[in-house]
Amino acid sequence: MLDALKDVIRKSSIHVCLINTGGCNGCDIEVVALLSPRYDLEQYGIYVHNNPREADVILVAGAVTEQWREKLQRIYAKVPEPKIVVAIGNCPLSGDVFNQEGSSVYAPVSDFIPVDAEVSGCPPRPSEILAAILSVGPNAIAARGRQKL
Amino acid sequence: MILPIGPIHPSLKEPLRLKLKTQGEKVLSAEIDYGYVHRGIERIMKGKTWQKGIYLSERVCGICSYIHTQTFAETFESIAGETAPLRAQFLRVLTNELDRIQSHLLANSTYFKSLEHETLFMYMLYLREPVMDAIELLTGNRVNMGWNVVGGVRMDAKQTHLDSIMKIMLNLESEYDRYVQMFEKGPLVGLRSHDVGKMTRDEAIKARAVGPIGRASGLEHDLRENHHTYRDHLDLKVIWRKEGDNFARNMNRFDEITQSINLIKQVIENLPEGEVRKKIDIPAGYGDWRNEAPRGEVTYTIETNGNLIKNISIRTPSIMNIDACAKYMFNDVATVSDAVATYASVDPCIACTERVVIVDEFGKSQEFDYPNYPGNMKLKI
Repeated sequence: MLDALKDVIRKSSIHVCLINTGGCNGCDIEVVALLSPRYDLEQYGIYVHNNPREADVILVAGAVTEQWREKLQRIYAKVPEPKIVVAIGNCPLSGDVFNQEGSSVYAPVSDFIPVDAEVSGCPPRPSEILAAILSVGPNAIAARGRQKL
Repeated sequence: MILPIGPIHPSLKEPLRLKLKTQGEKVLSAEIDYGYVHRGIERIMKGKTWQKGIYLSERVCGICSYIHTQTFAETFESIAGETAPLRAQFLRVLTNELDRIQSHLLANSTYFKSLEHETLFMYMLYLREPVMDAIELLTGNRVNMGWNVVGGVRMDAKQTHLDSIMKIMLNLESEYDRYVQMFEKGPLVGLRSHDVGKMTRDEAIKARAVGPIGRASGLEHDLRENHHTYRDHLDLKVIWRKEGDNFARNMNRFDEITQSINLIKQVIENLPEGEVRKKIDIPAGYGDWRNEAPRGEVTYTIETNGNLIKNISIRTPSIMNIDACAKYMFNDVATVSDAVATYASVDPCIACTERVVIVDEFGKSQEFDYPNYPGNMKLKI
């Protein structure tokens, strides 16, 4: 009974934190476009909060730069359980055009923190980002929450 | 006390550390740390052909991704001493102005979000989406368009697409004034914006403020005046204001959007026929080119051996504007939340800003190690 209630609440209230670990901020503005009346992220109970201490889902956008190598793991540790990581765009998957000789990026992001969902594209469309959050977010958060109990 | 904000913080979109020195709620001064998204783009570009370099230049910044490719292409064209065909130049102006509209609307929406005025924030994003549709219709992508090549643009625009863009622009124009009035006459937004974060004209000159931030402080300077397409074929008037506060910066952006809509109409009505791309043989040499990005002027300096890029230096507008904000605008800000709003009003773009500047022992900066480049000294180590 308590589990079922927590499942419902967790599924309908997802707080999202966006971390740009060294991209071109194209993915960031597509996440901002998600807030617009056309896509309306909040009708799904998703709230872009940008506060890692209250987040359920972390969106990582960007190849990992020198500054972020330790900080990303520290931020990941600050996020309360259960937590989900969604990698947005080509940068966290492969480093995109930046992953060449002489650059200061350390892609992929899965070397540093576990990744649950990946959306490719440079940048992916807002609807794809939304679909990725919705496909992995609510159920995984609810399932992981139950494991902890 | 010192109040650190960032790099990940609810009020910031991009990673940056803002250290505010405060006394109670009053902000005395501010310090800004960058370096979180430095990827080494100029370093990677060396030794590549322009076909590879133009993709990297597009990804310097996501919001103003268009102007970087245009400046990159025009630098190469200036090295060759040629210009793109006239139809291509007009299509470049069309895309540039569409990009400016969406960038300014996003900047203003971020400002309203930092003021906690959710209604105007939503309205700005509501106005922005049709413009993104227009960009997608013309170029095939929403953000990184890949629209420019050296010698023109990638493909021709269809007449049906131009008609649709015209319709979107007329639609935007018809409902645009209502939302500007909400900001201009709104008592709540106005009270929070007037006389906050003031920068005088002298300070703007000292800080080398560019773009709408400089123009809001009385610097009557817009590089589009000197660009050959705008100068010869289009009607453009520089928009500037005297106040230099948060309200002036946002109003300046609103007025520029009106002008961009006007320019797009001029382009679509007067679009000449002809080819959109020509082959340009690039000789060895170096050249530089400046263009007006949504945030100010962006400068590319490129040295090439005819085939490969030997040296490249990119100077983006945000680095001057953010430093101008840190040095001059935080001097008499009443509250911390006003300081965050002031920071948002300069339209900071951190991904642009991450450039490396080496300063030698004489205090002269050294970005570009071409030996005979005027104004730069060879670094001696």
